[in-house]
Amino acid sequence: MKKRDEDNLRAVSELLKRAMPPVNAEPRRDLWPAMERRLNGERPAGAPWYDWALAGAVVAAITIFPQLFLLLAFHL
Amino acid sequence: MNRHLYLRAYMAGIAVPTAFLIVPLTVFCIARFALQIPVPIERTLIFPMALVPNIYGAWNILYVGALQRHNWPIGVHGALLPFLLAPLGFLLATHLGFVTPEPHGIAYFGTVHFAFSHIAMVFPIGVGAYYLVWKYIVSFLNRVLEIGQ
Repeated sequence: MKKRDEDNLRAVSELLKRAMPPVNAEPRRDLWPAMERRLNGERPAGAPWYDWALAGAVVAAITIFPQLFLLLAFHL
Repeated sequence: MNRHLYLRAYMAGIAVPTAFLIVPLTVFCIARFALQIPVPIERTLIFPMALVPNIYGAWNILYVGALQRHNWPIGVHGALLPFLLAPLGFLLATHLGFVTPEPHGIAYFGTVHFAFSHIAMVFPIGVGAYYLVWKYIVSFLNRVLEIGQ
């Protein structure tokens, strides 16, 4: 290989190294708590009963008084 | 992923109302153009279309900022937002002239009347809906964008 080709390859290699961000081997967050939950067979907690009750109340109120939906749609 | 934390919070916040805007927009378009309702309801679109998504984004930024100092539940944070949005919407609506206060309530375009008892009923519904939306949807988007972990 000619010396000029080698120089070109080296220059391209340098440019690529500069253009690519360094690989971050560290995880973005602590993965162990999620892994521990999985190992223990825990399932993610569902919604509590009062959230279901609240959702039911909201749906029921909008169903019973549909005209109030306009007020909600505009102000909220 | 600690870069642009507040920008990510803003984006997670605006995503929810932006996605839901299709519902009031469809209702307004059908009412105005299909049912030919003779009132300028397009003026009412300013608040939900322009302001509400940005306020959601700013409110989520505020949540992320508060989370750096205190363990603040996102559902409660979201449930406080109607206390800001409802008066803001009312002020804008009266300023634009399509809501007029009356002795026993308010009137939209002078034709659609809502008694204060109706408004008192709508507000807790709104607070409840906001609590659920923030607790489950905005919180999910925050988790996806790795905010608040």
